[in-house]
Amino acid sequence: MTHRLAPLFEGYTDIQADIDGRPADTADHTAQTSRTVASYHPRRLALTVSGIITETVSSATFRLRRPDGADLPPFLAGQYVGVFADGTNRPYALSSGPASLDHWDLTVRRVPGGRISNHLIDTLAVGGTLTTTGPMGTFHHNPLFHGDDLVFLAGGSGVVPAMSMIRDILDNGLDRRFHLIYGSRTPDDVIFHEELDAIAADHPNIRVDHVMTEPGNGWAGPTGLLSSTLIKTLAGPLDRRMVYVCGPQALYPYALRQLEELGHPRRRIRFEANGAPADPTRQAHWPADADPGAEVTVTAGGTSFRTPRGRPLLDALEDQGIRPEAACRSGECGLCRVRVLKGTVHNAEEARLRLSDERFGYTHSCVAYPVTDLDLDL
Amino acid sequence: MSDFDAVVIGAGNAGLTAATTLQRAGLRTLLVERHSIPGGCATSFRRGRYEFEVALHQLSGIGSEGQEFSLRGLFEKLGVIDRLDFVQEHDLYRAVVPGEYDVTLPADWAAAVDVLSDAFPGNRERVERFFQLVKDTTIWQMAAMRGLPPEQVDPTYFRQGLRPLSEVLDDHFDDPRLKSVLATYWTYAGQPPSRLAFQDLALMLFAYLEFKPWHIRGGSQAMSSAFLDSFLAAGGEVRFNTAVEAILTERGRAVGVRLDDGQEVSARDVISNASLPLTYAMLGDAVPTTVRNDLATRRIGVSGFVLHMGLDATPAELGFTTSTTFVNADLDEDRLHASWHTLEPARGICVSSYDVAPIGFAPSGATHVSLMTLQYADAWDKVSPGEYARAKFAYAETLLDRVEVITPGIRDAIEEVDVATPMTMSRYLGHPGGAIYGYDQDRTENWLFRNSERETHVPGLHLAGSWVATGGFQPTLESGHRVARRLLRHQAA
Repeated sequence: MTHRLAPLFEGYTDIQADIDGRPADTADHTAQTSRTVASYHPRRLALTVSGIITETVSSATFRLRRPDGADLPPFLAGQYVGVFADGTNRPYALSSGPASLDHWDLTVRRVPGGRISNHLIDTLAVGGTLTTTGPMGTFHHNPLFHGDDLVFLAGGSGVVPAMSMIRDILDNGLDRRFHLIYGSRTPDDVIFHEELDAIAADHPNIRVDHVMTEPGNGWAGPTGLLSSTLIKTLAGPLDRRMVYVCGPQALYPYALRQLEELGHPRRRIRFEANGAPADPTRQAHWPADADPGAEVTVTAGGTSFRTPRGRPLLDALEDQGIRPEAACRSGECGLCRVRVLKGTVHNAEEARLRLSDERFGYTHSCVAYPVTDLDLDL
Repeated sequence: MSDFDAVVIGAGNAGLTAATTLQRAGLRTLLVERHSIPGGCATSFRRGRYEFEVALHQLSGIGSEGQEFSLRGLFEKLGVIDRLDFVQEHDLYRAVVPGEYDVTLPADWAAAVDVLSDAFPGNRERVERFFQLVKDTTIWQMAAMRGLPPEQVDPTYFRQGLRPLSEVLDDHFDDPRLKSVLATYWTYAGQPPSRLAFQDLALMLFAYLEFKPWHIRGGSQAMSSAFLDSFLAAGGEVRFNTAVEAILTERGRAVGVRLDDGQEVSARDVISNASLPLTYAMLGDAVPTTVRNDLATRRIGVSGFVLHMGLDATPAELGFTTSTTFVNADLDEDRLHASWHTLEPARGICVSSYDVAPIGFAPSGATHVSLMTLQYADAWDKVSPGEYARAKFAYAETLLDRVEVITPGIRDAIEEVDVATPMTMSRYLGHPGGAIYGYDQDRTENWLFRNSERETHVPGLHLAGSWVATGGFQPTLESGHRVARRLLRHQAA
């Protein structure tokens, strides 16, 4: 292997002796690498449903384990996994804490007209199998800059990542204050109600306030929306505390306004991504003359099909049985990136495109809408 | 007839230049990439208002228009020069060892001499002599690599080229601080001066001083996308989210690949930009003994630990005057190198501030900064998956402690930060040990002792990238192009 010039160099003999005298590295590096990746970030997991807990009338927790009982990949409280069902996939936050990796809990709430959440609640049974991705997402406590005094504004099933964060604090004995302000429609809708109240009663560093929009007669606690006044009353001055927000889409612009009214800096607010915009045409840059109900022709993967302008490209592709890799379905993770060869898409504000993506015509198909006929390269 | 003339495994730097070179020469080429995006290391990702450059610290070799032997020429040949905007850095680096020195070296031979003789009086002639040796060594090395007969090569090159950098520095200088400043780029090769061949540091210094350090607007992802664009425009075919599971052979010759969906693709030639251990593992039992023996004497190289940060302050407010800063605990490079096998507080970091000369990744008034230390994956072997996150953030704090020396209060400006460890590198690159420069780039690992790039011992199989050449952007980009041209010449003959 040695080049014919090598012996002409000063030091050649020493270096050649170094090579010749080395103990052979016979490790199977490829297998080691695969094991590392599989234990931290497997692409897919086939998990067994080992238990189902009915949380409320409309929500359930699915306890998932590996069929062989081994530990699941580690995650950061607040992260989600992609769940595959019915020809598509959806992100669901884990509600269990990261300290116990022998299982993951997924807590799912029924959504009116929802597809996968309802499908899971209706069809998943103990002993069944669920295919997921590894843990993903950036909505988690980051000790490098989030601090130890936290506020979490949750709406509905947005409490799921908060539950995981609280369990993390308790299980790992973290020196961290956590104030959950949790909005629900009625007291019967509150997920983890008893458990949250019990935790709050036992742990002075965890505080939980429930807020009802339709309290009924038996409710004596706070009511209405998570307004700036209410936040101030319950949480006091926010100072530089990190505020997490997770819930239905409508909560986000509202919560942002409330927090801004309180003078809270934008960079101390973190929103969990929550799907493609319910109505993309309400974004200012939606082209005025583009009827969202009208159909256009999309050509991709060797076929052409018609789809309405208002339907995200990723969903439209899945309708045709074409399944690009996807995870967050909210514009962030970038896995569903496709290239637009011809035509124009509307990139929703949610799209976290790279600077060069725009230049070379890439889009995140989960939050991209076909404004004109399109040719795509998948 | 084969499905393709060539299959390229992996769309990293070398895979992209190889595929683009082949397709533009008329070979029907398939490029296969496991991830959803081209680039390998040469990529970026988004967090909040920021985009983060993953790997490109300083692009060497670009040079000015018309300058010979530059990377710019390669970009022109491959049809990407008009698709890219380059951003020049005016300094090589600021080097800081608290209590010892704080020197900013301009990216210019003469100005660098001035700065060093001001900072270390009485050394002007020594620095000039050292720089002359750097230039001569590099020029003779390039000539020798290109096949100039040995009798025409300056014997000084044979005397100095393979000596440890530390010895050559000792020959020239007495002041340990000056030696340390001049050796600063050793971390770009991952080997301390006692183990790094002088010719390797000489080549780096030459590449940056002669051709200047550059960044790319839109980051290294813009470059990766530009190569892919050129490849596709020439009629190339690409498959993303697809892994190659096996390299198919017939009577010892590579004849195609099997993809992870089971599809078999035949090709006259297979070019692998995957790691050497993985590439040969994909051959199954077809690995020749010569190769097995060679690989057994090579050592999996260093990985890295990086904080990708979005800071809500301008570079000036943060105190960044230059794009690239190295902050080390002391002058002991061997001690620093040894610490990369441990989780002891980071002893040396490279700080890249991408908005002194903006690449477009931070919004107005804000700054994208990365903090990096090299580290071997074995530092993380004892950490259990359940302990991983805590260990990762705890170690990250030590890099922040180190950068506070030059930017006090930087923590208060953090708006986003994401951390990458050797595990992260393993995941995204598929490299053993998360190695970012391939094998350990010590004196045994260069073209004089290893020739996997020229001789794979498997007909039809070609190897390109950091595992067969040198690590880093310029070397890997050039490796892919060189391997493709060799293949084309071979076919023509």
